[in-house]
This record gives sequence, structure tokens and C-alpha cells, in this order.
Amino acid sequence: MVDAPEKQSPLRDLAMPRQIGTEANVELTERLCDSLVQVQAWPNSVGKVEKILKTLKRCVTMPSGPGRWLIEGEEEGLEEGLRRELTDDLGAVTGLTHARVVISISGPRATRVLASGIALDFDESNFAVGSTQLAHHHEIGLTIHRLAEDQFDLYVFTSLSRSFWQWIEKASAEYGCRIV
Amino acid sequence: MSGFRLNLRDGVGTAIGDKSIQFVFDGKPYRGREGDSLASALMANGVSIVGRSFKYHRPRGIFSAGSEEPNALVTLHRGARREPNIRATEVELYDGLTARSQNRWPSVNFDVMAINQLAGSAFSAGFYYKTFMGPGRRGHKATQFWWFCEQFIRRAAGLGRGTNLPDPDHYGRMNAYCDILVVGTGAAGLAAARRAAAGGARVIVCEERAVAGGSLTSLPDYIDGEPARDWAAGQRDELSAMDNVTLLTRTTVQSYFDDNTFLAIERVTDHQARPAAATPRQRAWNIRARSAVIATGALERPIVFAGNDRPGVMLADAARRYAVEFGTAPGRAVAVFTNNDTGWLVARDMARAGVIVTDIIDVRTDVPDEIRAISEETRAAVSTGSAIRSVKGARAVSGAVIAEYNEMTGELGETRKTIACDCIAVSGGWSPVFHLTSQQGGKPVWEAELQAFLPGEPTQNWHGAGAMVGAFGLRAALQSGDKAAGAALADAKLRKGRGHVPKVEGDAIDYAPAPVFEINSGGKSFVDLQHDVTAEDVRLAHREGFVSVEHLKRYTTLGMATDQGKTSNVTGLAIMAAASDKAIADTGTTRFRPPYTPVTLGALAGEKYGHLAAERLTPMHDWHVEQDAHMYANGPWLRPESYNLPGETVEQAYIRETRLVREGVGIVDVSTLGKIDVQGPDAAEFLNRIYTNGFAKLPVGKARYGLMLREDGFLFDDGTTWRLAENRYLMTTTTAGAGRVMEHLEYYRDFVWPNLKVALASVSDEWAGIAVAGPKSRAVLKACVKGCDVSDKGLPFMGVRDATIGGIEVKIARLSFSGELAYEVYCGSHHGQSLWDLLFKAGEKHNIVPYGLEALSTLRIEKGHVAGPELNGRTTPHDLALSGMVSSKKNFVGSVLLQRETFSKADRLQLVAVKSLDGQRVSGGSHLVSGSKDNPGRSQGHVTSPCYSPELGCYISLAMLEGGSARHGEKMFFSNPVRNKHGAVEVISHHMIDPTGGRMHG
Repeated sequence: MVDAPEKQSPLRDLAMPRQIGTEANVELTERLCDSLVQVQAWPNSVGKVEKILKTLKRCVTMPSGPGRWLIEGEEEGLEEGLRRELTDDLGAVTGLTHARVVISISGPRATRVLASGIALDFDESNFAVGSTQLAHHHEIGLTIHRLAEDQFDLYVFTSLSRSFWQWIEKASAEYGCRIV
Repeated sequence: MSGFRLNLRDGVGTAIGDKSIQFVFDGKPYRGREGDSLASALMANGVSIVGRSFKYHRPRGIFSAGSEEPNALVTLHRGARREPNIRATEVELYDGLTARSQNRWPSVNFDVMAINQLAGSAFSAGFYYKTFMGPGRRGHKATQFWWFCEQFIRRAAGLGRGTNLPDPDHYGRMNAYCDILVVGTGAAGLAAARRAAAGGARVIVCEERAVAGGSLTSLPDYIDGEPARDWAAGQRDELSAMDNVTLLTRTTVQSYFDDNTFLAIERVTDHQARPAAATPRQRAWNIRARSAVIATGALERPIVFAGNDRPGVMLADAARRYAVEFGTAPGRAVAVFTNNDTGWLVARDMARAGVIVTDIIDVRTDVPDEIRAISEETRAAVSTGSAIRSVKGARAVSGAVIAEYNEMTGELGETRKTIACDCIAVSGGWSPVFHLTSQQGGKPVWEAELQAFLPGEPTQNWHGAGAMVGAFGLRAALQSGDKAAGAALADAKLRKGRGHVPKVEGDAIDYAPAPVFEINSGGKSFVDLQHDVTAEDVRLAHREGFVSVEHLKRYTTLGMATDQGKTSNVTGLAIMAAASDKAIADTGTTRFRPPYTPVTLGALAGEKYGHLAAERLTPMHDWHVEQDAHMYANGPWLRPESYNLPGETVEQAYIRETRLVREGVGIVDVSTLGKIDVQGPDAAEFLNRIYTNGFAKLPVGKARYGLMLREDGFLFDDGTTWRLAENRYLMTTTTAGAGRVMEHLEYYRDFVWPNLKVALASVSDEWAGIAVAGPKSRAVLKACVKGCDVSDKGLPFMGVRDATIGGIEVKIARLSFSGELAYEVYCGSHHGQSLWDLLFKAGEKHNIVPYGLEALSTLRIEKGHVAGPELNGRTTPHDLALSGMVSSKKNFVGSVLLQRETFSKADRLQLVAVKSLDGQRVSGGSHLVSGSKDNPGRSQGHVTSPCYSPELGCYISLAMLEGGSARHGEKMFFSNPVRNKHGAVEVISHHMIDPTGGRMHG
């Protein structure tokens, strides 16, 4: 059995490490998920599905709609594992590992950069650490997970990730940016 | 006006520093000081004429000190950054600033077009309508005359000229949310911001000027024991240091929209000589506030009198600001003309700053004693019960004629004296700035005591404060700001807390002016300085029957220039009211519209400037570009149109690619197809209701082509759907239809059949798609596929299998869009390029060729497969010869209305193909006709998808033709009058190749 080649980021060289400006009030980085899965529970099985999702290890579970979650796993094979747990009568499991690129932004001006393109109230009273928001940057849909006060993971559609990166890099440049 | 720099000391020149700044005006170098505005620097250099008026080319000087400026409009910068009609009063000076005056030739001091003044009476209100209006056709004298004159008039009249070059700057945007927005940072605004911030609210404070403080920066009063300007500085420092406060200076709140949403424009680098490249020039703030305190103050308005447009006539409060803040005397001998107490205070404050005030002229006879006492400090001659009859001086003020005036009758009496002065500072009262609330629909109310309109009842969560609501004077402003913040805190569901109003020591005067708006002495008296509208124009409009204020505005163009009549609206209205013998309250007022001041279009475009839409790229995008493929925008996607060899045209390239696919094998990127994951116990039933054909019995491991209709029976989209497991399907849609199909499915799932357990998820980005087509395609797959038998038996037509290629997990479906033996191979997007490389390598010995969108289209046209041009929202399955795919055994979306009688008529447009008989290319969009080029007759149909067919050796096209299915073999013409094309064609079956399907089933 031949091993599959390395996954290739759609950003290619755009996200090569470098410094933009003299300061670094914003840090940008990208990653591809090892596993990314969407789970949709049926209306009468939301509680049961929630219980199962709480048992997941080394996963980040992000609510993304009524009875719906986006789950990132640190290992491959999450889709198959969940499909075994979540039978058809409980809900549906959709693999999205290749459908998103995660662009991470952090630093003291991270919130300001995001607010410059995304119509979302980033105040912690509205967007608490550890929570997830669904938003748009113009026509690009985003799932935003807040890791800390000034640290966010943005799950961006693969085909649109280059356009989004171009915007966020330009928006970050005003404050000084390091790509790591 | 001969302005000059005063002796700078404490309290004189509070806004400017020591640093010398060099700038250029009309090609001549000048020096100003750090903190100067362009207007104050020009004034300090003795420049009195800064522009020419719109219509008459009369010399004009500096009239105000803020954004209300009607006269001192200049053009900044050169080349691509040239920007016309910028108010010199708002331009902050920096080293190297270049400005030019406007609407003059050859120079602002000697303007040839000033000859227009001689014909002034001819250019009265309605001049263009009366002179040029006529039917829009040649032969009508008035219209012909306009066509002749237009070119000259357009050159002679107007404002500055912009540039046609692309804007080299970039612009930013910010989405901001707050509990309370405070607009304005005068006494009321600062008081409101203090209380709101202390109450724990998230506060955004916007100030139009470079420094917060509003009128506090030039008033001599004391607040809490310190000079008002120091108190203001302390307040803004405190506010700036608070985490819950965002203080934005150089930021004008331009618009007030529904849901308490505001648009503010921040001028980020306009004041900088060398801004950082990464910093946006301006930033548009979308502010969503739970509540707002509008503390926008009031604008002083002038009194209209003969010669009131001469350089040297300016607003009194502006004269004070130039003296106190910029340390610049507006003239060597200043006369103050007023109808209220503030004019006297201005005279006093200017005198304290070192300006010589020669005269105070007040239309009132009953001036309070404490106000009269001011004249002793100014040592100015006082003329009460008097007015300016006329102004002396041709190009600038050199004096004024003072006459007796009866404020009750509005009549001038005997001339009292002629005074020598080079500046007349005029105060005609105050007009509250309620533009924002007016935008929201709050109808203003006339307040007779204050002789001013005040904002009407709030229609949203806003609270007015300070002069904006008629609370004039520091004490009243501070109180109203504090109170408004308390109400705003309540709006935001926060505790109101206790207010605090600081102690004020200073002038306590009556701000109510005498109701005098115009001194009618018969001379040319301007109401709207920017559009050259005179008081007589307003009266003329009334005489000609324009009784509505809205009509008056449009007929005279009063208040329609770039300043939107900030200093002229109320005065114009008062003159109109007097002419019609009505009260001002009964005359009405116009509604303000956004923006408050002119806004650069780039700022509204924001970061989208030069980048209109995001591009969707497939995983193999870079490979296509490296092959020099011409990338073609297909909706948001970029797709390769063709891979041209050196010297090849697109047509030559697609013909070569098509031929090589039919003869051997080709590979094409189909990642752009819409893909939807459909899962759940009811997925089969759901698809059965969505598609016209049956899907309930589709076996696992098989795909089926399906048609979707709208409810009205017309075709909506098509594609193949693959059954991956008992309750799991992968639906593919057209590239363009992916989004709308997803919405269509979600609508039916959520609203029509909510009892069905079906999950839908877009997986368009999850899968890279590659089609391998041609008689050698199986050989290519056989060379690289593991874990799947790709023989005809192992992978039959419409079969779907899991496999691996080079270790990459793939799904292979045997589908054909081209009509050849073909496969679609899907893998995870991040492996897309690797899979493409592996397939390409496997195909090398079969001379595999990449093909683009044009060849993809040519292959399907030859085969007679329909696509977007045929699925155009006006066709049914019957029209496209797809009736066999419409089930009669079940209901589906559109099944009822598809049975409409009209859909079965024999003369409907039906799918056919046409082939050229005379070698001409069949132009897209052509009609099908029976007649010759000269007499084509009526359209009987149209072509939809044209191309050159290598297989048939001629130009062909799919087409929609009336009763087309029964007209095969008929000779017709395609007619394209737009492109001047007309050619002979033969109607043929749309199955142009392999009608039995032997190739793709082979």
C-alpha cells in the first residue's frame, strides 16, 4: 500500500513565514486539519448526540447551527469513528477535512483586524473565549473559534482561502504583521 | 481682507505650534505653522481671494472655519491623487501640501470669466429652464441652442475638476458595536461621554475636527476652575485612557440609518505628508449603537446684505476661532455685524487676542447693558438699530456703509456713516445641526424664541444634547449632555447612575437673535454663496409660483451644492416666508439626506476598491496558470478556457483539444461542479421528491442523471447523484447552480417537508474533481487505479467505486459529459494537484491532453447534452427532449404545473441543432429566420450554444426552434443584426454524434 502524498495547502507560498512592517501586533498562520467533520443531529436526537460528542478526546467541538456541530480532531479518521458511533437514526456525519483551511490570527490588534472586515461584535460580552461564531467576510463564509482574548481560528472555505488570506494579510499590514 | 499672524501668546494661537510648514497655493510657496488649517495659513499670509464663485465667477474668500464652508474650495494634490472641492477650512497643513484655486482662468486674481457678472441679471433663477428647455429632438430651437451652448457653459460654470486616473490610495473599513455613540465633543458631547463611560457603557465618541473640544477650544470661559480648553483637553485624555471608550477624531458621522446604524468616515492619513503605505487613507466605520447622543452643536448663519459675498465677509464665530485658535487676524480692521449677543462676545474675544475691532453694528436697539459694556473693552464704535447697507470694495472688503435700521419693519433708513474695514464678521444667529436626525425622518420644529429649527421627536434611540437641541451656553450644554447620556444608558439597559455637571464660570448671554435674516437694500445679496443664489432669486421663484420649499430648492438650486446649504437653508427659507407673507413655521423645511459632508467614493468602497469579488480557485489552479492557460471567470470560479500552444488562437486550441479527446484521452478539471452531501433515513424519499425521475430505487454504487424543476414546472438544474451508501448520497449540480440548488433543497427540507430526516451539507470544497474522457480513458485509469476493477464489467456505465490512486483515496464514477468513454475521479481537495499529476503521468504514454472549458463545451454540444444556455429558466424537460426523464408514477417539485396545456404545444421552442451551410461561424445570440438578410422575417427561435465541430467539420450550434423536433432537415438562416451576420444553416438533430451511445457505453 502506497502512502498518500502530503496534503497541499491551497495557500501555497502565500503563507510563507515573514515579517510585514517593523512591528508585529498581529500574527498569522495557517494549517490544514487532520480531521474536520460536520455532525447534524435530527430534532429528536440532539441530546443523545451531544452526549456522544462530549466523550470525544483531542477534539474541538464547535456549535454551528441548531443540532449541528463542526468538530476538528487532532488525528485522522474522525469521520469514520463518528459514523460508527452516530448511526443513521441519530444524525449525519459529513467529512469536511479538505473543505476548509484554518487561518489563525493572534496578537493585540487581532480583533481590530477582524472587525475591519467582518460585521461581528468581537466584544467578549458577545463573543466569549471558547465560543464559536458564524460570520461572513463579504461573500466568504467563516466559522470563527475564539481561543483567547486575542487569538482566533478561522475556518475558511478551501476554494476561497486565497482571496481571504490576501485580505487578512493586507488588513494586518497596517498594524505590523508576522506570518509564522 | 488682509489677514496676518498675531503676536502668539497664552490664549492666542492655542491650536498651532512653533514648527514652520511649507506649502504651495496656486504655484506660489507659502509658510504656515504646525496646527494651521490651509485656510488659516492662507489668511495669515494675507491671501484674501481663494476661489471664484460657481456661476458669476465673483471673487470669494474664506467664510467659515469648518465643514460648512461654502467659498474656500480648493483642489488638492496632482495627478491620480488630484481631489477637487475640498474645503480649505478643513485641510490640515503639512509640509509639501499643494493646493490650487478653482473655477478660474487664468488665475484666481484675474479671472476672464468674471465677465459673467455683467450679465448677472440674465443668470437668475431658472435661467437654464427658461433659455434652453425644449423637446429632446433636433429642430426645436431651444434644444438646439442648448446643444450649442452646453460645451461653453459646462466649461465656464462649476466647481473643480477631478481626475480620470485610478485612485492609487487604499481605504479601510471597520465594523464597530457600542452601547452609546456620542457624536460631537463640545461641552455637551464631552459631558455625555463622561457619564456614559462612567456608567460602564461601551462608548464610541466621534469628533469631526483633529482635536476634541468643539467650541470649548476657543471660548474664554472656565469649567471646574480651569480654562474651558484645558478642561476639554483633560476630559479627552481621561476618555482616551478608558478601556470602554473609543475616541475617534478627524471622524465625521455622515449617515444615520435604521437600527441605530451610523456611517462615519475617519480621515486617517489625509493630514500626513508621508503616510505609511499599509495605512488606509480613510476608513469607513459602520457603527451599530444601542443608543446615541447627538451633540453636533449649531452652525452660525450669516445675515444677507448687499455685497455680502466680498472676500472679507465671514462668520463671526469663525473670525474668533482664527484669532484665538490659529493666532491669525482675519483683517487689519474688523467690523462686527450682528443681530444677537454672540457677535459682541466675538468682538471682545478678538480684541483680547490683538485684533483691531473698529465697529460693532447691531440691528437691535434693545441691547442689554452688560453686553453694551463689552464695547468698552473692545474700544469699537457701536451702532445699534443699524445695519450694513452695502459693502465697499470691488475685489475685497474695503469698507461698509452703515444705515439706520428698523428691526420691526425691516426697513433701512438714513445712511449714518461709511466705515473703513477689511473684514466684516457677521452673526445672524445659530442653526442647530440636526442633519443626522433629519436623515432618520425626525421632522424639525420651528422654535420662534431661538429663531431656529430644532430636531423633532426621535424615531430611534437617540437623544439630542447641547446647541443641537437648543441648549445654548456652556451650562445648558453640559447639563443636557449629562441628561442625554443618562437616557442613553437606560436605552442600553445599563444603570443610569448619578449625573455630574461641572461648575461653569463665564458669559451667560441670551443666544436668541432678532428675527432679521436679510437687509434688503437692492444690491446683489447672496443667500447661497456656493451656488450663487441671491435673495432676489428666491423672491423671483416665489413670484413665478414656486410655493413649496422643495420646489424652491430645485428651481433656484439653493442648498444643492457640496455644502448642502449649511449656512443658507434657514436664511433662504426665511426670505421665502417673508415673500409669501407666511410664518417660517408654516413654510416648512427640507429633509437632509446622507452624507453630512461630501465623501470620497473610495471610502465607501472600502477594502473592496480594486477587488470587487473574491475568486474561487480549484486545487489545480496554479497548474493551469503555469501551462499559460487563459483563465476564464465562470461565476466566482476561475477556470481554464483553453491551453493554447504558441501561436494558437482559442478556437484553434479548443478544436485541437476536442479532437484529441475524441481520438485518445483528455483530462479536465471539474472541481467547480456543485457538490451536496445528502444523508439520512429519508434521503432517498427526499431526492425522489426533488428530481423528476426516480431515485428511490437507485442501487448503492450507482449514479443517476437527474432533472430538477421549479414549482412552476420549468427546469431548474441538472446533475448526477451518486448513492454512496443506503442513506448517503453525493449530489452534483451545475457550477453556476450550486448555491441556488442548496437553497432550494434547504427550503423544501426545512419548510415543506420538515418531517423528513435529511441532512444537507455543501461539500463542493471537500472534493477535487477530474474528468478523464476519451476512448483511452480506461487504459489511463487501469495504469494507476488500485482497489477497483475499471473494466466495463467491474465499473459499468454510471457505476461508482471507491479506490486509491498513488495512495490517495478516490471515488470513481463512470459518467460521460463528452459522449466518450469517460470517468470522473474525485479526491479530497488538498490532494487534488497530486491526483492530477498522477493521472497525467499515467496518461503520458497515451498522449493525454488537458482540455479547457471551450473543449468541454464543444464535446457536450456535439453530443447534444444541455447545459446553462439551454437550462435558462424558460425551458421544460419536454422542450429539451428529456420527457423520458419525467416520471408519471410519483409527485415531485414542479410535477403539477408541468402538466399545463401550454407546455405540450407543438409550436413551443424545442431543442434542435443547426449546422452552418456556408462556412460562417454561427454567432451566439443569433435568431433563426426564414428570410434573407434584407428581409429576414420574424424570429422563429435562437441559437444557444455555438462552436466549431471537429467531428462534423463545420460550425454548429444547439438551438431552440419553434416546433423544432419536427423540422430536422429544414434550411434556414441565422440572423444577428447586432453583429451584422446572416448565414445559411440546416436544422438537424441535437444528437450530432453517436446517437446510440455506443462510445460512452463501450
